[in-house]
Amino acid sequence: MGMERIRVGVVGLGKMGLLHAGILNFMPAVRLTALCDKSGLMVRLARKVFSRAGINVVNDLEKFAGLDLDAVYVTTPIFSHSFIARSVYKNDLARHLFVEKTLAPSYAEAEELCSLVPKESVNMVGYMKRFSVTFGKAKDLLAQHALGEVSSFKAYAYSSDFMGDNKSSRTSGARGGPLRDLGCHVIDLALWFFGDFNVVSSADEAVAGTLAENSASFRVQRSDGLEGEFDVSQCKKDYRMPEIGLAIRGSNGTIEVNDDRVRIEESDKGKSTTWYRHDLNDNVDFWLGETEYFREDQHFIDSILRHGNSEPSFLTAAKVDSVIDKVRQAHGSGLNE
Amino acid sequence: MNDQELLLVGDNPFHGISHLSQERARARGEGAGSPEKAAELVLASLQNGANGFAFSVSELTLSILRSIRKQNSGSLDLYPMVPYAFEYVRIATQTGTPGLARKLAKQIVLSGGPRAIATGARAVLTMNPSSLLSTYLTYEISRVKSSAGKRMNIVSLVLNEVMTDLALGLNLDWLFKSYVKFLSRRKIIPGFNTRNFPFFVQKFKEWNIDTRDILIATPFNRAGFQMNPSKLECEKTLADLANPTVLAISILAAGYLRPPAAFEYLTELPNLKGIVAGVSTEQQARTTFTLLEKSFRTAKESV
Repeated sequence: MGMERIRVGVVGLGKMGLLHAGILNFMPAVRLTALCDKSGLMVRLARKVFSRAGINVVNDLEKFAGLDLDAVYVTTPIFSHSFIARSVYKNDLARHLFVEKTLAPSYAEAEELCSLVPKESVNMVGYMKRFSVTFGKAKDLLAQHALGEVSSFKAYAYSSDFMGDNKSSRTSGARGGPLRDLGCHVIDLALWFFGDFNVVSSADEAVAGTLAENSASFRVQRSDGLEGEFDVSQCKKDYRMPEIGLAIRGSNGTIEVNDDRVRIEESDKGKSTTWYRHDLNDNVDFWLGETEYFREDQHFIDSILRHGNSEPSFLTAAKVDSVIDKVRQAHGSGLNE
Repeated sequence: MNDQELLLVGDNPFHGISHLSQERARARGEGAGSPEKAAELVLASLQNGANGFAFSVSELTLSILRSIRKQNSGSLDLYPMVPYAFEYVRIATQTGTPGLARKLAKQIVLSGGPRAIATGARAVLTMNPSSLLSTYLTYEISRVKSSAGKRMNIVSLVLNEVMTDLALGLNLDWLFKSYVKFLSRRKIIPGFNTRNFPFFVQKFKEWNIDTRDILIATPFNRAGFQMNPSKLECEKTLADLANPTVLAISILAAGYLRPPAAFEYLTELPNLKGIVAGVSTEQQARTTFTLLEKSFRTAKESV
């Protein structure tokens, strides 16, 4: 008898929705059952494209009812995440839920979603950088106390996405602003690496940083004194591909990590070591976009199959929304963050 | 395809792409971005053993073609890759996927004559996926031809890896069949760039699409970089192919490997049709292609 496959529906036929759909459809344990988008153009085209594959294409989330879905992926713009996730849970459209980052457009809405999670269900948010081999290696080094006591870090997230685009304020805002759209990844990594921290609030811009429509900078502090700085920009010159990274200082040396490599300088041993993606077994069963997307989806599906938890869960990811809200409050900003 | 190895000069350095280090790519991107300079590098590569130019179809590479046309009176074999995913993803980021579709449709309609407009409009109205694909490919081919002129010849049109691998994942056999049929009719070799080489070959066998008449561009390097699911699986699939139809890309694993050892590995692979290598300086153009030509010649003579 064949294995019962997990029936998955994907909401949103943008680039992230198609990417997850492609990866999920590759997985033997998954049956890509339904796709949903509100754009009439996309639905019409998708119906033609997927008609022979037996995949239902609908223009309304309510039409997921009766499809006996086990899991739903929410890959729509951030402002709609809460509404869709709430509908999935309240209308019992599926038990397990994956939401692309960020979980919600505000911490209050993220908290509400956490309270709606059914018992014995798997929930996860798409912070895919956790599944990158370089950031995973940095996490391992920190767990092994390779730096001794960590005292500070500097984190950045840069892209040229809205460079030279005179409509950038509007488009970046529609995508959630610089912190939700791009900076959230490095905030999540910092929370993963160092645990909870507080956003430093000050009237002095040199201390508190800035928050603009396409960029942001802010400082954080952990209760034991560890300090961190974040710098995020979506209009940075020559960042053809978005890049995020951290420079971490500890009593025994430093770690610099980004999407391409991780380097540790151990001052106590007087040596430095660099690992590139090539050195860290970066191959996957099926490549689409980046290798981390496959590992991320595999982790979610495996968690469903073994009735376990997946990370970053809604509860974990809600902390990113909390940090972003606190940055906004610290700057007294009415910006869309 | 004939028996001669394809030694193609690639365009990644001209766009400032490095999969090893984005820092390095940023530093490199500024200098090589000039179309005239890039054209000189392509021509220098051709003088030193390269026998074709592989590139993503973008405003920059079309300018490079125009510059080559001005500087060179000889013929040149072209291996354009479509779509230029970076630009389309950027537009989708700014406008959403429906916005991208609308913008592309507008470009296609405005670029053609009355017949192209009518064909494009019919494809959009009926939403027939194969017709939309044909309309799009006609648009990209005409862009290349109008910049390249008559002395340059499109040997193969290569489908970008994001599209190829997305279509593989979604099991869209009709897309591959339509692509092969459309290009074969135009005497252009259908090409596919993939980072899932063994799965690609498996699916093509399943769908009864003959891999002997296509070109497959896929990573092959000693480091196993981007060779999914594993270096071993990729090598085994290559060895089992009936005809040499594979172009190795990422041959230096994005700068992780050094040329002599990296090229030695490639010459040991069976069934390889050729390689694509990017160059950033004239010195690199000379050393890379001279060494590649010599490595393949020596390997052939020793058989």
